[in-house]
Formats: sequence, structure tokens, C-alpha cells
Amino acid sequence: MTSMTEMAAPRGRTASAAPRPRKKIDGWRWGGRIFLLFMLAYTALPMIWMLLTSIKSGFAATQFPPQWWPDEPTLASYQKLLDPQNSVGQDFLRFFWNSLFVSVCTTIMAVVVAVPAAYAFSRFSFPGRKFLFFAVLLRNMFPAVIFLVPLFILMRVLGLVNTHGSLILTYLTFGLPLAIWLLKGFYDNIPVQLEQAARIDGATRFQAFLLIVMPLSAPGIIATAIYSFIGAWNEYIYAATFLTRNDQLTLPVGIQRFFSENTTDFPGLMAASFMMSVPVVVLFLVLQKYFVRALTEGAVKH
Amino acid sequence: MTTQIGFAGAPAQARIVRPSVLQQIWASRADYLYVLPAIIVMLIVIAYPIYYTIDLSFFETPPGLQLRDKNFVGVENYATILSSNVFWRVTLNTVIWTFASTLIAFVLGYAAALALHRDFAGRAVLRAILIIPWVISAVAASYIWKWIYHSDFGILGAVMVQMGLVERQPNFIDNVHTVLPSLIVVNIWREFPFAMIMIMAGLQTVPEQLLRAAKVDGASTWQRFWHVTFPYLSGVSTVTILLLAVANFNSFIIPWIMTGGGPSNASHIWITHIYELAFGRQRWGVASAYSVLLFMILMALGYFYVRALSGNEKREHGA
Repeated sequence: MTSMTEMAAPRGRTASAAPRPRKKIDGWRWGGRIFLLFMLAYTALPMIWMLLTSIKSGFAATQFPPQWWPDEPTLASYQKLLDPQNSVGQDFLRFFWNSLFVSVCTTIMAVVVAVPAAYAFSRFSFPGRKFLFFAVLLRNMFPAVIFLVPLFILMRVLGLVNTHGSLILTYLTFGLPLAIWLLKGFYDNIPVQLEQAARIDGATRFQAFLLIVMPLSAPGIIATAIYSFIGAWNEYIYAATFLTRNDQLTLPVGIQRFFSENTTDFPGLMAASFMMSVPVVVLFLVLQKYFVRALTEGAVKH
Repeated sequence: MTTQIGFAGAPAQARIVRPSVLQQIWASRADYLYVLPAIIVMLIVIAYPIYYTIDLSFFETPPGLQLRDKNFVGVENYATILSSNVFWRVTLNTVIWTFASTLIAFVLGYAAALALHRDFAGRAVLRAILIIPWVISAVAASYIWKWIYHSDFGILGAVMVQMGLVERQPNFIDNVHTVLPSLIVVNIWREFPFAMIMIMAGLQTVPEQLLRAAKVDGASTWQRFWHVTFPYLSGVSTVTILLLAVANFNSFIIPWIMTGGGPSNASHIWITHIYELAFGRQRWGVASAYSVLLFMILMALGYFYVRALSGNEKREHGA
């Protein structure tokens, strides 16, 4: 990078007197590009290798030297995972469905509970507001492991062990603080005057909230929903602890259990990892705009 | 503390005639309805577990969670922990893991955000690709990297052999010396996008005029970064570093799935160790005592976190 700056500088001097600083920027720009190329390789190569492995046969995956590009690409691993007739396929589709069910339920509940709470934290100034807000935020500091044993016992008391209800309730606890935090950022940016205008026109505070603020905060709600969904979809520890029956498992635990028994089926494992990533990556790519904006509004502005 | 509360909501005039706390609570009773659902959920799943963990840390419990048979042992569980060799080993691992992961992920994310700040062809695509590792499941990430590191068929080792760097496939994660750095690489892979997004978001708030003014005054690229952008982003940076540090301190999935803490505890960090004590060896009392210690460390971190957050808020309101 230094050499490039040096190379760029003399040319700048011969061309004209002024653009010396601009030539210097070029050095930084090229450095930045090389760095981005490095980061792209670091990020993408493991994922590409996952895809390439997933379309190999078990034999082709264990060659030395490795087959960079599979000699005989095959979708057999995917067919196996997605075939409802096959026992592996049955399990995998079951896990997939369980994950989807738990994540969707968590997302809906997180939004329903977080919207009013975030609104209150943004607008009202009741005593303890600040304390409660930070108490909510602090929850995110504590690892799942601390809560595992007591929650397990709590779930036993509530009769929720081995049900998806136990997961949904628990996921709310880490989904909620983040949701409230993000949504509060959005509400903070919606002018109070809009609500005041509605109030003057005769709306109650709740009506103003429902009809004015809610539609305006739609991007925030979408962002919150994505975060909750991804969090729930990827969660592992609670699911591994609270669920023991095979037909109840969610994808991360299901895959882990399955492949601790079939340790050598690398193409299958890579195919399963890929399939598990598809829904969240698609969701992220489609709704990227909201995803990043939520952090801008929520995290950075306060 | 007082200044924080006084600062919290009310405008300056309200401080002059201050109704009693009870009056205030009563007057804003309707407001609590909005936060009530959240608070109820939080109480059930946070306050109760915390109380329970503290309580259990003073007991010895028989395996199988038959908690009627627990015996009160005072602080013996704590003594057991602090006098064990494993504790210090695991603590050292945790410190290395947390510091290295946080620092490198932050620096890489920061640099990537800066490099991505200027518009160029393909920027949006590149940004999306760089964020993907953060979105996918840590379980999937663990399996991908475990396969890359595989001691017989791993691609990384194979490449190193082909390039003539080593004689035979290195054993990345079954080796006491290389296991922790290998796992940190995976962790950074998953976490630098978070720092990148946060800094990218922060960069949008840096006023363009300020940078242009600095440029007119003859500041170099580095000077503009160091004297304008960097100080401007100090708030976001602090929050990002704290969030990363907490997340790393609390990470579980990557070490657990990839190595389970082995070989010979070389990749055990606090969380995986606690999990193993509780659910592997069923020593609930000791695991709870560990959790309480962890809890205290996190409270200290949390204090800085809250201070950083309210510092940001204060700056914004006070301006």
C-alpha cells in the first residue's frame, strides 16, 4: 500500500501543483480495494466451499488432493434431505417445519409485545422509565446458560417441557429487548406533532398511536420482525435443552443430532447447512434495506 | 445517578415543581399499561432465574435435578471453583477469546465500513455478501469451518500441503496450541459484519461539510479520518465494542459444536464450561456458583454499557 502511494505521488507532482492530496487518496482507495478483496475471500470462500462440497458424492468429498470442482456434480444430498419418502428427508422436513413454526410465532409475539413497550419508552416519562429501559437492555448482556437451569425447571412447572411453547416463551426474552431497543429508535424519530394534530382532531391517545404512529413505524416493525425471526431461527442452546423428542427438534439441534450419528456424510452435512441458511439469507437479502436502517435509527442515533 | 434521572424525560421547568414519586406514578398509571406485557415476560424469565441461580449456588445438588434433596453448603461451591486449575485455564481462554475476537472483528469491520463508504460499482452486492456470515446460523458456520479444518479432508490443510508450507495435513482443532486461534478465526468471520454495519450506519451521520472543510484546510486522508471521522464515531464505536465484547464473552455455539471445549480444555471458555458442569456432569450447584460469578462480571460490563448508551443520549439531547 505504501509503495502505491509513493508511486502515485510523483505523477501528481508532474501533472499539476494542486492535486497532490487527491493522488494520496488513490493510495488509500487502492488499499481499501485490496482489503475488500481480502475480506470478500475470507467471507465467501468458506460458503463457496460449502456449496461445492454439497454437490459432491461422499467419495469425491474425501479425495486428496481435493477436487476443487466436483468431477461429477450431483444433487443427491439435496434430494435425500427433501424427499418425504426417505427417513432422512422426513426428519429434515419436520425440523424445518418446526423451526419455521417457532420462529414465526416468536416474531409475531415479539412485535405485539414490543410495539407498545417501545412506544411508551419513547414517548412517556413515567417514573422508572429510564430504569426499566436499561433493565430491558441489560437482559441482552446475560448468556443463555445462566437462564437454562431455572428456565428448565420453570418450564417443568408450567408443563411446557418438550413443547414449542417453551421455546417461543424463552426466545421472547432475548428477542424483546432488542426489539424494544430498535423500535424505540424509530419512534424517537417520528415527530410528536403528528400525534398532537390527531389528538386535536379528537383522536384518543391510543387511536393516535394506532392510526398515525403504527403505519409510520412500519419499516421499524419489519426490521424488528427480521431480527426476531433470524434470532429464533438460529437459536441452539435452549432448543437443545428443552426438547428431547425427536419430532419436536428445530433445525440447528436436529442437524447436530443427526450428524453426530452420521459423522462422515460431509456432503449431506454441507447440504443441510446450506438449506438451513437459505431462509434467513433470502429474508435478509430481500429486506436488507430495513435491516441496516434499523441499526442506523436504533443503535447509532442513541 | 441523580443527574441521569433528572435528565431522563421532563423538560427543565418540570423540575421546579416536583410532585412526589407516588403522585407521579399514579398520574402516569395508564402509561405503565404499555410496558406491562414486556415487564411481565421479563419478570418471569429474568428475575426468577436470577434469583434461582443465586439461591442454588449455595447448595450441593444430587444429579438428575431432584432438587428436593439439595444440601446447603454455604460458599463451598465458590471455593471449589476458585481453587481448581481448570478455572484459571478456562478464564485465560475466555480472556484471550474475548479480547482477540472483539478487537480483530472491530478493526476489520471498521476498515471494511470505511472502504465501503465510497460509492463504486458492485458496492451493494459486496456489502450484502460481507454481511451474510452474520445472518446464517452459528451452527451452520461451525460445521462449515469444521469441514474446512478437517484433519484428513480439510481444504485449508490441503491447500497448505499443496503450496508446500507443511508436510502433512495440520490438525487445526485437535491441537492444544492451534485450537483457540482457529476458533477465533471462525468467530471473527461471523462477527465482523456486525461491527461493519454499525460503523457504516455511524459514517452516515458524519457531516459532509466537516470533512470538506478539513480537506480545504489541507488535511490528508489520514488526518481527516483521525481528527474528524474517528472522534465523531467514538460513541458508536464504544457501543459496538461493548456489544461485541459481551457477545464474545457469552459465545457458546462455535466452541461447543466445533470442539466441545477440547482438546484437554484448550478451547473451553466460561460458558461452555458452565454448560458442561451443569448438563454434562450434573453439578448444578457449582455451575450456579459459576453463573453468579459470571453475572457479576457482566454487571460490571453492563455498567459501562449503560454509561456509554446514556452518554450518547446525553450528547444528543444536550447539543
